[in-house]
Amino acid sequence: MSDHDFHPLVMQLLDGDLTIADLPAELRAQGEEALRLLAAVDRRPVEVPGVVQRVMRALESRPAPRRPRWKRALEPREIRLRIRPWLLAPALAIAAALIVWIWPARLTAPPPLVTVRFVLVAPDAKAVSLAGTFNQWDARATPLVRAGANGVWTVSLTLPAGQHQYAFVVDGQRWVPDPGAPAVDDGFGRRNSVLTL
Amino acid sequence: MRLGAELTDGDIVRAVLAGERERYAQLVERYRDRYARYAARMLGSADAAEDAVQDAFVRAFDQLAQCKEPDNFLGWFFLILRNRCFAERRRSRATAPLEAADSVAAADRTDGGAETAERRRALQLALLELTPDQREVFVLKHVEGLSYGQIAERLSTSVASLKMRMHRAYDRLRQELREHA
Repeated sequence: MSDHDFHPLVMQLLDGDLTIADLPAELRAQGEEALRLLAAVDRRPVEVPGVVQRVMRALESRPAPRRPRWKRALEPREIRLRIRPWLLAPALAIAAALIVWIWPARLTAPPPLVTVRFVLVAPDAKAVSLAGTFNQWDARATPLVRAGANGVWTVSLTLPAGQHQYAFVVDGQRWVPDPGAPAVDDGFGRRNSVLTL
Repeated sequence: MRLGAELTDGDIVRAVLAGERERYAQLVERYRDRYARYAARMLGSADAAEDAVQDAFVRAFDQLAQCKEPDNFLGWFFLILRNRCFAERRRSRATAPLEAADSVAAADRTDGGAETAERRRALQLALLELTPDQREVFVLKHVEGLSYGQIAERLSTSVASLKMRMHRAYDRLRQELREHA
C-alpha cells in the first residue's frame, strides 16, 4: 500500500457502505479527506437543448433505418382492406358458386329421422350396450335396458335415414352381431350388423 | 400504440422503423441532458459532450434496425455513446488535450463560490487522469448515482471487477488531488 492509497475501511466509506462514525479514530482524518473528494463531485445537469434540432436536421439527409427484408417479412403487421362494393358483387358470386360446387351436400335438405328399437335376448348378460357408426363405435355411449326378467335388452334410437352398421357389446367385452339383421365383415375378423332406414 | 406522452421507448423505436422518423425527436428530447452529463464528465468538456451526444444519436438512428430490444433503447444507446466517448478520449489524447473542466469552471462563476469551483475543477482534472474504465465507473456511481449492481448490468461485467476498478480510481484521485493541491 502506497502513501496515496486509502485504507480499505475508507474505501467502504467512499462506496457508501460505512459512515465516518464507523471508522476508528486513527482513520477519521483520512475519512474526512475522502468525503471532501466526494463533495467535489459535480452532479449538476448539463443541458444541451440545441441537440434535438441539430440531430433532426442531420437525419434529413440520411436514409431511413430499415430492418433487413427477411426480418420484415417475419414481423406481424396490420393489414387494411378497402372494400369496393362494385368489386364485391362478382367476388360474392364466385364465392357462392364455389360453395355450391364444393359442398353440394351441405346445401341439400337433411335426411329424415327414423326411430328404431334395438332388441337383444341375453339372459345371462349383466350389461348390454350398442356401438355403431352412429355413435363412433363407442361401447359405453348407448346402454340397453333390461326389460323384465326374461333376458330381453332393449333401447330406442332416432337415427337419420340411410345405412348404419352396429353391434351389441355384452358385459363390456363381447361384441355380438344382431341375430335379426344382415351382417357384413368389418375387415378385422368380426361381423357388423347392417341397418338400412 | 399508446398516445402522445405515454409512448414508451419501444413504441417510438418501432414507429421510426415503420417510417415515422420525426418521432425520433422524442427520444432525443427524452435523454439528451441525462447523457450530456455523463459525456461531460467523461470528456471533461461540455462542448465535447454536446458533440458526442449529437453524434451518438445520429449514429443510433443509422443503426436503429440493429436495436434488438426496442424497449431497452436506453441501454443500447448508452453503449453507443460510451464508445463515442472512449474514442473521443483516445483521439484527443493523440492530438491536443481537451480544455478540461471548462464547463465546470464557467458554471461555477455564476452559481458557486470560488472555493467550491476550484474543488470541482480539481476533481474534474483528476478524473481525466484516470483510465477511461476507471473514470467511467466513478462517473456512473458518483455522478449518475447508479449502484454497483446497476453498473455491472449496464456494462455486462461483475461487481467485483467494478469495485477493483473503482478502488484504483479512488487511490489515483487522491494522488492527483494531493499533487495539485
